[in-house]
Amino acid sequence: MSFETSIGSIEIRNPLILASGVLGTTYSTLQRAYEAGLGAVITKSIGPRPRSGNPNPSVFALQEIRSLINSIGLANPGYQSFRHDIEYLVKSETPTIVSIFGENQTEFSEVLDGLKDLNILGFELNFSCPNTEKGGSQIGTDSETVFNIVKTLKSKTDLPLWVKLTPNVSDIIEIANAAVRGGCDALVAINTIKAMVIDIQTKQPILGFKRGGLSGSAIKPVGVRYIYDLYESLGGRIPLIGVGGIYKGEDVVEYLLAGATAVEIGSAIGVAYPENMIRFITMKIKKYLKEHNYSSVGEITGGAHK
Amino acid sequence: MTKQTLPNTKPIMCKIIKKEEECEDTYTFLLEVPVKVQRAKPGQFIMLWVPGVDEFPIGIAGFENNFLEIGVAKMGEGTEALLKKEIGDYLGIRGFYGKPFKPPKKVKVNHLLIGGGFGMTPLKMLTTSLLHQEEKQEIHVFEGARTKSRLMYLEWFQHLHDKEKLAFHACTDDGSYGNQGYPTVDLENFLKESEDPSIFYVAGPERMMKVIFDIGKKYDKVIDMQMSLADRYMRCGFGVCSYCAVDPTGWRICVDGPIFNTKQLEQITDFGVYKRLDTGEKERI
Repeated sequence: MSFETSIGSIEIRNPLILASGVLGTTYSTLQRAYEAGLGAVITKSIGPRPRSGNPNPSVFALQEIRSLINSIGLANPGYQSFRHDIEYLVKSETPTIVSIFGENQTEFSEVLDGLKDLNILGFELNFSCPNTEKGGSQIGTDSETVFNIVKTLKSKTDLPLWVKLTPNVSDIIEIANAAVRGGCDALVAINTIKAMVIDIQTKQPILGFKRGGLSGSAIKPVGVRYIYDLYESLGGRIPLIGVGGIYKGEDVVEYLLAGATAVEIGSAIGVAYPENMIRFITMKIKKYLKEHNYSSVGEITGGAHK
Repeated sequence: MTKQTLPNTKPIMCKIIKKEEECEDTYTFLLEVPVKVQRAKPGQFIMLWVPGVDEFPIGIAGFENNFLEIGVAKMGEGTEALLKKEIGDYLGIRGFYGKPFKPPKKVKVNHLLIGGGFGMTPLKMLTTSLLHQEEKQEIHVFEGARTKSRLMYLEWFQHLHDKEKLAFHACTDDGSYGNQGYPTVDLENFLKESEDPSIFYVAGPERMMKVIFDIGKKYDKVIDMQMSLADRYMRCGFGVCSYCAVDPTGWRICVDGPIFNTKQLEQITDFGVYKRLDTGEKERI
């Protein structure tokens, strides 16, 4: 039974990838997440310079819907400082995708130029963070900007570029097409959904930034639908990576059936014992493969499109 | 009311039912927790939300009958706003988070609690818990502060000392109470004279803890050192964000700690050397 997965030119040992923003601030947690059994890891989104992000509270759980809301807002050490962490990851042979962001094309280029010589698997372009005033999902909602940035970055590197899409748009297919025309190597869907929680006692939005993004179980059906739509519209032209609300092996299978080649897991990995979580997910996928007479995980992709 | 086993939620709003000046710039707050939760354990922490201002980790000084005691010192914008809160106001709490102190059972040891400043809050709770243990063992508390008016829980510890429940070794930088100097002096004097094995439980500024760690390493009779690294920047409190992680182990202070033992501390090269800022960058301590 094969778990090996190809996403374009990238080959990883299984289709489970650590989503950006979880356990991704330092090489040691990323290394640990990989050793826990994932196929690859994606770093926290890295920008041109150190950034404190938004005030706390910036992340908490909504237990009743097994979800998280966050407004961390791209807090990161900047690419110059984070280079050292990536060097550690490369040295320890941790398959790493570096998530990058910028407020505009110039900033994206600066970050990419500053890191592209490293022996990483590729870059994920974060066009979809909902927790900033500039950049983030503002970029990801304009197809022309998406096209221009992807095209420019593609001309600067041979490394694969993945584009992470925001669900907070009226037509995700239009944005996806722009990214594909620009030359991206895979599409990742979805980032968090715009959300808010208000404390009724003090009548205050709880997050320090007031507004945030929702991840976890509550958004899984949204993510599955977007992957389904993207697969239907783009066919086999480009690999799709599903993300949003994966807690179980069955959730992974669902995303693969919708059309994903691989998945990213975030909220569920940020638990006390990620090792157990990953083992449990893997076990359930194996069981599914066996029960449905598949010999490899790649055969599931797109199975729901008949 | 449902009893939560993993109380990982949005902030639970708690009413302030008592506020008392503990020592200079430091207040004790008693909060009424409106939902049934599992007992807090000494060394665990909560994320405390001051509505509209900030949220930060804070140590637990006591938890009895759903009343939560915290000790708050003026440290920054968040704590300053908190100190302005009065009885009847609401604060949000998340937690209880983290791994607690683990005093060994059925081993004859001296329990040595060493701390300073806000570090005394978890040590107060640990003291309460040790005093409840059936087997009476020696408890020594070493507290240091700049001056007498800044010794936290001075009366509380002094009272227990007078009742011969424990030995309280206080010291101040200016000699206004106890011996003049750092608690490390009293600690080393004690270690030189004692014959039984000892365990350290330490909470306070990390530089001080590193010094104490190095002292403990010199004595074979110190069989374990448990130290709280809760004085670090945290966002989530439950392991997802990793802004509190230490290198090279990748342990998150909030779920793998905040209490680490000797074996773990030896592996954390960041201990006493680097802390992480809210950007994720490292800064020398």
